[in-house]
Amino acid sequence: MSGPIVLGLRILLILALYAFLGMTLLTIWQDLKRTGQQAATHKIPAIRLDVQMKRRAAVSQIFSQPEIILGREPACDVSLDDATVSARHAKLSYHHRQWWIEDLNATNGTSLNNEKLTTATVLATGDEIQCGEVCVTVNLGGDAIVTPTRRL
Amino acid sequence: MANQRESRLLNAAAVFLFLYSIILTLSPTVRERTWNVSYRFSHWIGFAIWIGCVFIAHRVSSRQLPERDPYFLPLASLLSGWGILTIWRLDSGFGLRQAMWFGVSSAAFAILLFAQKNLSFLRSYKYILLTSGLALTALTLLLGTNPAGFGPRLWLGCCGLYLQPSEPLKLLLVIYLAAYLSSRLPIYQRIFPLLVPTVFVTSLALLLLIVQRDLGTASIFISLYTVLLYIATGKRRVLLAAVATLVLAGLVGYFFIDIIHIRLDSWLNPWNDPTGHSYQIIQSLLAVADGGIFGRGPGLGSPGLIPVAHSDFIFSAISEETGLAGTLGLLTIFGLILVRGLIASLRAADRFRRLLAAGLTAYLGIQALLIIGGNLRILPLTGITLPFVSYGGSSLLTSFVAIGLLIVISNQPDEVESAALASPQPYFLLAALLGFGLITASLTASWWAIIRSPDLLTRTDNPRRSIADRYVLRGQLLDRNSKPIDTTSGKSGTYQRIYLYPNLAPLTGYIEPTYGQAGLEASLDDYLRGLQGNPSSAISWNYLLYGTPPPGLDVRLSLDLELQRKADQLLGTYKGAVVLLNAQTGEILVMASHPVYDPNKLSETGSFLAQDKNTPLVNRAAQGMYPPGDAVIPFLDSFGSVNGIGNKQATSLYEKLGFYTAPQVSVPVSPASPTGELNNLRVSPLQMAIAAASLSNAGTRPAPRIALAVNTPQQGWVVLPPSSDPVKVFSADVVGNITHILSTQDQPFWEWTAGFSGSNTEPYSWYLGGTLPKWQGTPLTVIVLIEGNYPSTAQGIGQQLLQTATHP
Repeated sequence: MSGPIVLGLRILLILALYAFLGMTLLTIWQDLKRTGQQAATHKIPAIRLDVQMKRRAAVSQIFSQPEIILGREPACDVSLDDATVSARHAKLSYHHRQWWIEDLNATNGTSLNNEKLTTATVLATGDEIQCGEVCVTVNLGGDAIVTPTRRL
Repeated sequence: MANQRESRLLNAAAVFLFLYSIILTLSPTVRERTWNVSYRFSHWIGFAIWIGCVFIAHRVSSRQLPERDPYFLPLASLLSGWGILTIWRLDSGFGLRQAMWFGVSSAAFAILLFAQKNLSFLRSYKYILLTSGLALTALTLLLGTNPAGFGPRLWLGCCGLYLQPSEPLKLLLVIYLAAYLSSRLPIYQRIFPLLVPTVFVTSLALLLLIVQRDLGTASIFISLYTVLLYIATGKRRVLLAAVATLVLAGLVGYFFIDIIHIRLDSWLNPWNDPTGHSYQIIQSLLAVADGGIFGRGPGLGSPGLIPVAHSDFIFSAISEETGLAGTLGLLTIFGLILVRGLIASLRAADRFRRLLAAGLTAYLGIQALLIIGGNLRILPLTGITLPFVSYGGSSLLTSFVAIGLLIVISNQPDEVESAALASPQPYFLLAALLGFGLITASLTASWWAIIRSPDLLTRTDNPRRSIADRYVLRGQLLDRNSKPIDTTSGKSGTYQRIYLYPNLAPLTGYIEPTYGQAGLEASLDDYLRGLQGNPSSAISWNYLLYGTPPPGLDVRLSLDLELQRKADQLLGTYKGAVVLLNAQTGEILVMASHPVYDPNKLSETGSFLAQDKNTPLVNRAAQGMYPPGDAVIPFLDSFGSVNGIGNKQATSLYEKLGFYTAPQVSVPVSPASPTGELNNLRVSPLQMAIAAASLSNAGTRPAPRIALAVNTPQQGWVVLPPSSDPVKVFSADVVGNITHILSTQDQPFWEWTAGFSGSNTEPYSWYLGGTLPKWQGTPLTVIVLIEGNYPSTAQGIGQQLLQTATHP
């Protein structure tokens, strides 16, 4: 009889509806994963900082993380052992496809190419950052070392 | 990437609609349970139009916007296709129109995608757009019509095409507000000067809608204005002000505007007025309840019973045919559209697009929730459409332009940074509110479809029962010799109850769509309808397949049609009742009540019968309560002398005779007089017959029976036992004495004729008679009651009936 046949079709109908929803959710999930992986492999151009302290030889450091803290504390990414430098002095960060520098309310302030920093500013190769009496020279992309970070 | 995903999802949507169409084609075979039916094919036109339009829309969007969000089009298309097929199932004329409008909407969608990639047009001409929208809406005040010919005049019509300007007006308001707020917000620091033009414009629109009594749309306007302002400014006091406005407007409306008063009342207390103002909402809930978990199947429910099911109540129609499974799927689809809309808004590259996307999402979400809430009795009913699904060209077109704009906004490469966002708080709140609404709707739908379903479906104003009666064979009522009394004829779809012996109507009653059920047709309904006596697996299987009970079972009654015919003939035009009992077994052989009516003609005469002062609908034999008068004297004879009987003795005798308890029998009876009543004692002829049977049955009052057996499919005829026990009233000696006094000279009967003529009441004549204890055949008892002073007539009828019954 037609009843059981149509019952089978009705079950298929409900299954089709939920198959549609399942496919939609699955694609959204795959989308999310893809976006996540993309963000994770998002390449941050390496930055080389040449630190010149008074009466010391220049030291070079290369970074590929999106955020670098400069300061007197040993825990800082760039540790500047100098009395004129604050514990956490300045921050370098990568976003909007640029490296930016920001003063972290340091006592002696931060200058970029001899101009006092008041807001976040974009960095370019050859820029000189003065943290107290320490001078840091910026070199972008010179020695490109690319490693994926863990951040999503 | 996006194109591939979109086409895969569209294919899945097409499979769903294809299955829907197949079931709809086959649905008549299931309803009528035969392959020989006229199949439904016309809706395939709608399916074909859907396929064509969706294919073109997909191609255009793939070509024009390769980076778009691929989910909007499949979600919206599935909803529209579902809507077109559901509307087609309800009314093929409306279905064709909706399919045409789907074509128009897809064309508008394609044009939008071709022409507008940066949406600058909308920003530049925001005032012109909004003003023309307002002007069109204002025009309906002068030239408004209603396609249905009655109801609110919200449409502008020409040459068979109708436009409801308040639908596009919502969209234009969103565009205007998004454009205005995005360009002005950075300039003005204080909120008040910012708001003046928007308040002015929005109030103008509101005023128009209130004058038109389009209150559903008006509340959407207030909500949209609030949402956009809150998202643009992030100030929470906007929300508080809006809530206060809505509550205030609701209160003012409740006391001063009739339609709001009626709507709110029928929302708060629907059960008080189920046939009047609450008719729609109750029918809507009945449809949801009938759907249950899996639904009746496309084309197999009765959603057409809800008024305007194709537009305002399409959600209930879908609930009935696809059940909770379908409803939850539908709500999930709406939820996904809203989520994708909010994501598009957050990713948008500039402030205008962001506000526009948020506004469009809010528009779709709020409108859907308002009408779904109205259908499920979460919110008061507002006459608005369910976006994409409901019947209505303006609504479908507007929804498609909205989804087109969302797709345009979502189309941007991954590298583009989204605009700065002051605080995500408004988005969280909006998402939480919409999500809360959808979850509430899901839970409420489950409540009506699962928990309250059994209660709702057995309501007498559920028309699905009488519809089922046209498709399922009802059991017969047979007399004790298996001669049919009530039977069903016709074929599935046009089954009709035939009453072969109409004179029994006061006892057997009727079943009729308008007047419901009465008599044995009502009290034995569960057997006749197959709900009792069939194995429960068969009942649930039939319900799953057809939404109806299994075929009904025949019931054999104790009545003897030959004797019944004789009694009816003897009683003739007298008003009264005759009961003939088998005194030993309690089987009712005759139960006549005059005057009678013809239940075959009930549909024409029903309204007169209820008002007839001769009360033909009342079964006088079981429901008529009469003063016994001197008819109790034979029983009082048991005390030896009639004089000096105390009240206590009389009460305890009446108790034993069953005068204070309603007989337990399938026939509907009136409640008995309260225990201890003497002066105002009322007794039905059936009670009197059972009491008198003790005099023919050696002092034992038998338990009355009328339904003897039911014909079950598995065990054949199953005996229905009496529902009470016999009671010993007198000793055999006492019975011997009484019947000796009452015995007649030349017949083996005892008899007693009595009258009652109180000063204030009509006179009544009673006749009690029966076989003597020494009678060798079946012991019988007869009671005749005639309204009026006709004791000798009553006696004549009783004697002749006893004669016939004892000498067949």
